[in-house]
Amino acid sequence: MSGASLTLDPAPRSEAAEAVRLEVREFLAAELAAGSFSPHVDTWLSGVDPAFSHKLGERGWLGMTWPKEYGGHERTAMERYAVTEELLAAGAPVAAHWIADRQSGPNLLRYGTEAQRAEILPKIAAGECFFVIGMSEPDSGSDLASIRTKATRDANGDWVVSGAKVWTSNAHHSHYAIVLVRTSPADRDSRHAGMSQLLIDLSLPGIAINPIRILDGGHHFNEVVFDDVIVPGDMLLGEEGAGWHQVTAELAFERSGPERFLSTYPLVAEFGRRAADTQDPAQLAALGRLSARLLALRQLSLRIAAALDRGELPNIPAALVKDVGTTFEADVIDEIRRVTDVPASLDSPDPLGRALAEAQLHAPGYTLRGGTNEILRGIVARGLGLR
Amino acid sequence: MSDQDLVVETVRDLLAAHEPFVLTPERPWDEALWQALVETGLTGVGISEEAGGSGGELADAVAVVRTLAAGAAAVPVAEQLLVAGPALTAAGLAVPSWDVPVTVAVAPSVTATADGAGYRLTGTAAGVAWTGVAAQVAVLAGSGDDLVLALVDTAGLPAPVAANLAGEPRGTLTFDATPAAGAALTAEQADAVRARYALARAVQLAAALEQVLAWTVQYAGERVQFGRPLAKFQAIQMELAEMAGEVTAVTALTDAAVQALDRDEGVVLAAAAAKVRAGAAVEVVARLAHQVHGAIGFTQEYRLHHLTRRCWSWRDEAGSELVWSRLLGAGLVAGGSGEDLWIRLTRVV
Ligand SMILES: Cc1cc2nc3c(=O)[nH]c(=O)nc-3n(C[C@H](O)[C@H](O)[C@H](O)COP(=O)(O)OP(=O)(O)OC[C@H]3O[C@@H](n4cnc5c(N)ncnc54)[C@H](O)[C@@H]3O)c2cc1C
Repeated sequence: MSGASLTLDPAPRSEAAEAVRLEVREFLAAELAAGSFSPHVDTWLSGVDPAFSHKLGERGWLGMTWPKEYGGHERTAMERYAVTEELLAAGAPVAAHWIADRQSGPNLLRYGTEAQRAEILPKIAAGECFFVIGMSEPDSGSDLASIRTKATRDANGDWVVSGAKVWTSNAHHSHYAIVLVRTSPADRDSRHAGMSQLLIDLSLPGIAINPIRILDGGHHFNEVVFDDVIVPGDMLLGEEGAGWHQVTAELAFERSGPERFLSTYPLVAEFGRRAADTQDPAQLAALGRLSARLLALRQLSLRIAAALDRGELPNIPAALVKDVGTTFEADVIDEIRRVTDVPASLDSPDPLGRALAEAQLHAPGYTLRGGTNEILRGIVARGLGLR
Repeated sequence: MSDQDLVVETVRDLLAAHEPFVLTPERPWDEALWQALVETGLTGVGISEEAGGSGGELADAVAVVRTLAAGAAAVPVAEQLLVAGPALTAAGLAVPSWDVPVTVAVAPSVTATADGAGYRLTGTAAGVAWTGVAAQVAVLAGSGDDLVLALVDTAGLPAPVAANLAGEPRGTLTFDATPAAGAALTAEQADAVRARYALARAVQLAAALEQVLAWTVQYAGERVQFGRPLAKFQAIQMELAEMAGEVTAVTALTDAAVQALDRDEGVVLAAAAAKVRAGAAVEVVARLAHQVHGAIGFTQEYRLHHLTRRCWSWRDEAGSELVWSRLLGAGLVAGGSGEDLWIRLTRVV
């Protein structure tokens, strides 16, 4: 593969996207004025608010690109991009539906059976059905192919699932998991064979969801244990044995969006207010440096959205943007710290102090979730023809 | 075995019986560990016996603080042994007992008004370490154009709950004609108190960062992905090496600043440099430590956060990185043309 695969064509300007962007801004201003949410950092992990998700569904801002027959709105990826970008920039509570709208829905659309799509997609688009990612296990993080959770067919043709998934964000608020399982034993010669994806209703008997607290004490992570859980035979997603291929396609959606550089934007916004107030030259320069990085990331991310509209799956550029973007998300904190004199504390009377604290305590996650930056750089190196 | 080795060993033994825990408003410090330190005389190390301490050198006190910091011990020992103790003793202010914690507040906006043999304090001090835990606080307060070091009993003072990123209490103290013992300080003496506080944080940071590196190297040797330990991947080796560079630089500068303090040289710029350098290292070391640990390091169950959360806060306490880097820069060109920057640099430590 040549280095050229890293470059994407420029995104065409989309009038429709700019129009919906304004609608979302108006909506968010009204919601803020009504006190329906308060802005926070990293809300696509921690801002769970099913009522808010439902409102977005009502306005047609979930499942935006899906066919109308499945509750979608047949709009472009550029329009969806504008909506997600506005929600993230405002620090709105989008975590409940985020995974379902971003990757589980598209995954179902590509690989689901007619019955699965008809049953589930309209509920996702309505903001009433939430999903989690069941990939990682205690011994399988970066090395996802080494998973051990297994599913075997019983006499009735149902799946019997046993094993444990971990770091499962928001499983305690969600309805379904798409779980990567071994459906035939690991094969030394072909590490990626023998895996499948199952669509698992999280209310089934035998499933235990155990909380794991992150640095700020928040409960977002879970361990999800499957103790011989009987999953109906028709809940296989896609093809038996094609799990690895499907997961790889799913990761392209997982890695390509604006949440890979906007997680800490609410902190930047707070800092912008401060710099405007103080007119301190060092603060203005820092804001300038941050803005230049952010603007470049936006252009990259927009190009990815345009590529999705053309039906491409830009895996390698998505890996690149995620590496550069998540590095930016964490760097924001130190750029701002270096030119302000506000202690980071969740108890701070100063909103900048609180935003700094939220951003810092969530920082380790930015460059790990959805594939670590080391792994992403390996993918980029492959794109450069180096391996 | 040197005296310091003995001190370190004693502290380590105590730490082994007092694991760090997640601090909460209900349980904001490790009182049992403090009691154990009191029983072994370690809360008075480096403070003369005449002043009610247990004697010993600055190096001993630093060894105690370093070891406790590496163990993420939730006790106000750095404040007491490296700042409040020496400052109060030098100012001739008697502390009834070192068995109950004494903390520090640098708050020149608090006014001290002479009242008989003592003072009365009025005003607020924000971000005071160990509010609600310390029984007494050494306040660096203003008094007209002068500065006063005052010793105040915190019992009865309102102390709203607020915490740093590690849950360590960092509250606001409000004084309202609060009676205090006190002594006037020269500007130089006051600067030395501030510098000591910054240096105390630098010492804690150096020790914590060293421990974070050790934990990360250990973890990389144990965690297996793709059939081998993480430590075998070149990308991880580079990250560990980068961390080691940062940690070594911080330790070298902090040690030199402590020695400058021991020689009783002008310590302000040395402390500033040590604090700023340690703070800058936190950025790299904490980030890479978490990166190498993966998701497990992002949890409260795993030990890493006990130190990384402290480091993220300590770097901006006792004067933020911004304040100390400005002071260092300004100090290096103060009253001159900047022509002699090199000469001044070579005199810092
Ligand atoms: C906030 C957050 C939310 C998450 N949500 C979910 C979720 O909902 N569902 C889910 O399934 N998972 C989730 N994860 C898990 C995430 O996918 C994993 O953390 C990630 O894949 C890394 O795995 P690990 O944590 O086990 O780290 P490890 O794989 O153990 O990696 C540790 C370190 O070693 C490096 N490393 C590993 N292999 C190599 C190599 N070959 N070369 C160079 N370096 C290497 C890594 O880059 C990393 O720095 C989440 C994680 C976070 C932080």
